[in-house]
Amino acid sequence: MLGFITTFIDGLSLGGVYALIALGYTMVYGIAKMLNFAHGDIIMVGCYTIAVFFASIGLPLVTILIAIIVCVIFGICVERLAYRPLRGASPLAVLITAIGVSYLLQSLAQIIFGVTPRNVVLFKLGTVNVLGLKLKVDTLITLFVAAAIMIGLTLFVNKTKTGRAMLAVSEDRGAAQLMGISVNAIIAITFAIGSALAAVAGSFTIMTTFEVKNTMGALPGIKAFTAAVIGGIGSIPGAMLGGLLLGVIEMFCNSSDLASYTIAIEFSLLILILLVKPTGLLGKKRREKV
Amino acid sequence: MKKSIFTKILCVMVAIASTFLFAGCGKEKDMTIKLGVSGPLTGDAAIYGQAVKNGAQLAIDEINAAGGLDGMKFSFDMLDDMHNTTKVENNYLELVDTKKVQISLGCVTSAPCLIFKNLAKEDNMFIMTPSATNDDVYKDASNVYQMCFSDNGQGTAAADFIKTKEEYKNCKVGVFYKTDDVYSKGIYEQFKARYETLADWNSVVVTSFTEDDTNFQASINSLKNCDFIFMPIYYQKASIFMQQAQGTIADDAVFFGCDGFDGIAGHLGDDLNNIAQKIAFLSHFDSNATTGKPGDFVTKYTETYGADTLNQFGASAYDCVYAIFEALKVAKENGKNFDGSTKPSAMCTILTEVLQNGTFTFTGVTGENIKWNANGTVDKLPLEYEVKPAN
Repeated sequence: MLGFITTFIDGLSLGGVYALIALGYTMVYGIAKMLNFAHGDIIMVGCYTIAVFFASIGLPLVTILIAIIVCVIFGICVERLAYRPLRGASPLAVLITAIGVSYLLQSLAQIIFGVTPRNVVLFKLGTVNVLGLKLKVDTLITLFVAAAIMIGLTLFVNKTKTGRAMLAVSEDRGAAQLMGISVNAIIAITFAIGSALAAVAGSFTIMTTFEVKNTMGALPGIKAFTAAVIGGIGSIPGAMLGGLLLGVIEMFCNSSDLASYTIAIEFSLLILILLVKPTGLLGKKRREKV
Repeated sequence: MKKSIFTKILCVMVAIASTFLFAGCGKEKDMTIKLGVSGPLTGDAAIYGQAVKNGAQLAIDEINAAGGLDGMKFSFDMLDDMHNTTKVENNYLELVDTKKVQISLGCVTSAPCLIFKNLAKEDNMFIMTPSATNDDVYKDASNVYQMCFSDNGQGTAAADFIKTKEEYKNCKVGVFYKTDDVYSKGIYEQFKARYETLADWNSVVVTSFTEDDTNFQASINSLKNCDFIFMPIYYQKASIFMQQAQGTIADDAVFFGCDGFDGIAGHLGDDLNNIAQKIAFLSHFDSNATTGKPGDFVTKYTETYGADTLNQFGASAYDCVYAIFEALKVAKENGKNFDGSTKPSAMCTILTEVLQNGTFTFTGVTGENIKWNANGTVDKLPLEYEVKPAN
């Protein structure tokens, strides 16, 4: 039973990281109506920023802050240079561009930093005993910070003017523009928030895996995308739910004899959910008006 | 009678001519036995190739300084293949045609060695590789020998090692291996097969992962009661696992790997100290050795080439050259004739005869009383190489 609870908490923590990344996917999809497949690689950019600055200045929290800033700038630049010129283009062209940006970032990182993974130890955290459970401190930090960010983001979107503008753009871009909302600015803000979340997810990834390499963003990116789709792409609570679900499932698979089939199980789940509920768990059904 | 005189004259002429002929032979007799190898001297795997080059050259210089073999000296050529399979064929041809190499050490790394082996098999060129561990390297080729343990051999050796060593005999054993990697899976399966004959396999906790995994918390939770964790994987993933395992796996446990662990200390650098547990791996050479043949080798190697490239590859290459030398010495004592102009295939026959005669053993830097099995794999006792003790 204790083992079960530990695995569950580890799973929630991993799911929290997926959820943070999934939020980036889902917000960009909801507002800019595009799949930003380069989102996973923003994590990698954040992690290399942490690796470089941590090696030179050594202050973990400051380093994470720098990484967030770098990622925000990066996200806005990518949107401005690669995606905005394609605003009116077909969705397929935008999708291919996003995949191209993803490979570009990975290759650039390989040229600059090489293929050898770097080992980065940000914090030396031990374990704590909670009600007889031996839990890792970094797991708990991940869990709480991810939860706080999710609550904060929900409040931001629903309560602030900018957040409501985002909702408006998401619902009807044309109408929002007519109401005086700058669509370009809102989309840029969305990319900025998504990239900042990616940087935070990156720092959590470093805290658990200690490894930084150029392809590190690809698989978490795809898994988070899966999480976003499971939860209902475009829906913020959906991304959180999908991320947590995926993390817990992954952790339970890995702790059983099914470890080799984890990825297969995760993606089968995606297919299953889409068969039963094509819009995802919390996705809204769009009514087509004729 | 006339005919008889003619015959006599002819005989004398033939005799004189043959004297010249043999004298000519003697003058041009090549007294240098030529050894060669292909390996990475540049690129990512360069450290391995450089170690082999230095180790082999050290042995060649020593042998020549001590007078060589029956008046014959030895030479050694190494060509760079950058651990790139496309370079191997050219290197092989250059070694054979231009450098006139008679005996080879094959290749330093496994993938190139598979190509080298196929070329060498056609010519029956002898190979004793210092470090190509893959099992396909020796399979179906009577000319190929290994000085390193084969991948599969490491699994068997590891099981024997755990169950014979007092320190580990009663440990609760756990395994952490990679299911989508032939190296890891191969060692794991051999380990399991051997372990089942020695002890109860059901008590062993087996966990696994795949290439894309970086979060090993679930495996770590399963392994938390184990005090000997066998990890037949490469050091990159192993170092992630070890760092994640801090606080969950007991501090006095042992992380035990195979040759894939070689390089972990360099990869982790100062972060190695964050790992409380003992880290060790199965090897045939201890670069911290101070006594005996390994100790001598360490001293000589570092004096000549520095400590940067000191590793098991160099030691193994040093042993390869000496094993070939000893085998040739035995062949000479048995009345076999060879010199610098003997064809590679004839050399191979001479060497394999000695190696397979059932009595030939070799004591070197990487082991004592080393023998070779009929399939070309090495038979020697593995050593435990300690990367770091428990904190």
